Amino acid sequence: MSNKQEYKAEIVSKDYLNEDTLFFELKCPEIADAAIPGQFVNISCSKFLKRPFGIASANKEDGTISIGVKIIGEGTKNLSEIEIGEIVDILGPLGNGFDLDSFDSYILAGGGTGVFPLNFAYDTLSLMGKNVTTVFGFRDRSQVIMEKEGHIITTDAGDYGIKGNVLAGLDSLSISGNPCILVVGPTPMMKGVGEWARSHSLKCFVSTEQHMACGVGICLVCVCKIRSEDPNEEYKHVRCCKDGPVFDYEEVIL
Amino acid sequence: MSSRLNVKVGSVDLKSPVILASGTCNFGRELSEYYDLSVLGGLSSKGLTIKPRAGNEGCRVAECDSGMLNSVGLQNPGVDYFIEHELDYMRSLNTGVIVNVAGHSFDDYCGMVRKLDPFKEKIDVLEINLSCPNVKEGCMSIGSSPEQVKKIVSALRDLTTLPLWIKLTPNVSDITAPALAAQEGGADAIVLINTLLGMRINIKTRRPVVQNNTGGYSGPAVKPVAIRMVSECSRVLDIPIVGCGGIETAEDVVEFMIAGASAVEVGTASLIHPDAGLRITEGLERYCEDNKIENISSLTGTLELW
Repeated sequence: MSNKQEYKAEIVSKDYLNEDTLFFELKCPEIADAAIPGQFVNISCSKFLKRPFGIASANKEDGTISIGVKIIGEGTKNLSEIEIGEIVDILGPLGNGFDLDSFDSYILAGGGTGVFPLNFAYDTLSLMGKNVTTVFGFRDRSQVIMEKEGHIITTDAGDYGIKGNVLAGLDSLSISGNPCILVVGPTPMMKGVGEWARSHSLKCFVSTEQHMACGVGICLVCVCKIRSEDPNEEYKHVRCCKDGPVFDYEEVIL
Repeated sequence: MSSRLNVKVGSVDLKSPVILASGTCNFGRELSEYYDLSVLGGLSSKGLTIKPRAGNEGCRVAECDSGMLNSVGLQNPGVDYFIEHELDYMRSLNTGVIVNVAGHSFDDYCGMVRKLDPFKEKIDVLEINLSCPNVKEGCMSIGSSPEQVKKIVSALRDLTTLPLWIKLTPNVSDITAPALAAQEGGADAIVLINTLLGMRINIKTRRPVVQNNTGGYSGPAVKPVAIRMVSECSRVLDIPIVGCGGIETAEDVVEFMIAGASAVEVGTASLIHPDAGLRITEGLERYCEDNKIENISSLTGTLELW
């Protein structure tokens, strides 16, 4: 059944969140309509390959989605120079996304560009009326982005929120029930939060990131490792883009 | 699609000269979400090996100007899994089924063909991959030796009546030598070219970007190399050529066919636009219409050298 396609999306807003991170809204009703939190889009950026970005919000009424872009290399630099009204090629929504149905309460833990997909998860869980706690960790006050009322913010420098990393934020919580932990951020953060969840006997899902090419599961360059059920093999390679990016922490090998 | 795009590669009838290249379409499931693959001439499966392979570790991709390096290392579920779980699906797509056969040794290739031959009713072509640059043994090292190419193709010829297309590596000084060797061994067609061996370096870490150190360079940058090789082989071979390398547009297909290709494979373009095969096919229809071409195969080998 062929029902997916590549779209053209117009940039409808562009804002700098800090010196090297931008927030774009793009008009693409089909993607806005279908997207679930944890999924991503692949966007052209005047380089050979597209670049993947976690969807930061989706507004079905306006037909818009948003993404956060941290300028890291040439592709993201090119994207930062795109102006409102310009058009990009876009594929999406891609990947599996978070399971937001199976639990009554969630704790979202994130840092770096991981705060963007978690923002979408926060919006959606709030609308669903679920109990959601958000802990975002940053280097210092100048890096704090995507903060919403009630979010717990930690900074390594201690000049804003709780001093320390996201684990300090998680330790400050009084946990009741069996919340599910969703973590998106740098690998050490996801490992730390995964172990924290394990020590509290809580379910934890991580969102993996790899250098990616096609984004749709055909080239096999963006693999990560999961534990294998076959006793003869140590691990299995699976595709971040198509089988993930979200995996059970107990399943994935970070 | 109209009959204007019907082509023959030796004894194999294809609806169109546009085939999706091995390793850029898996077994068709993902791209069939984007378009009806029956418009294509065929689909070449992910490169298969006798046992499943996990593929290479670490970073497998490096972007380049007008192309990319990949070093997937033939990650695949193995030929037995393919026969059990993917072959019928590929057949159901109503397009040419080309099974890409890779290996590390003479015995691997023979074992693969023995396993696939009993399913010949479901397979149109065996594409023998003597050219993957990303595995340590076999493949490219076999494909760069004309003696070994001839030996392996002759052996496979004795094992099956299925059409054998031999996919060759461009990483040789004279492409006509392995191409002629494949023909002498009994190949039905040659597929030119697999990726060019390349390297990119992270100047901060002074390490290669891909963890296998080198990777296969593909994309529009390699197109002139591929066209040159198709043209060279076309002048010395009696068997047909399937052109491959950097094709992104219908005009690229036309260029390959003029150079001597009877059909083409589209690879990396599908990684940029999942519907690249469809766009190119529609472009070819328009090209035939605009240029009053009754059948696209009339272009094959019409190159006049200076």
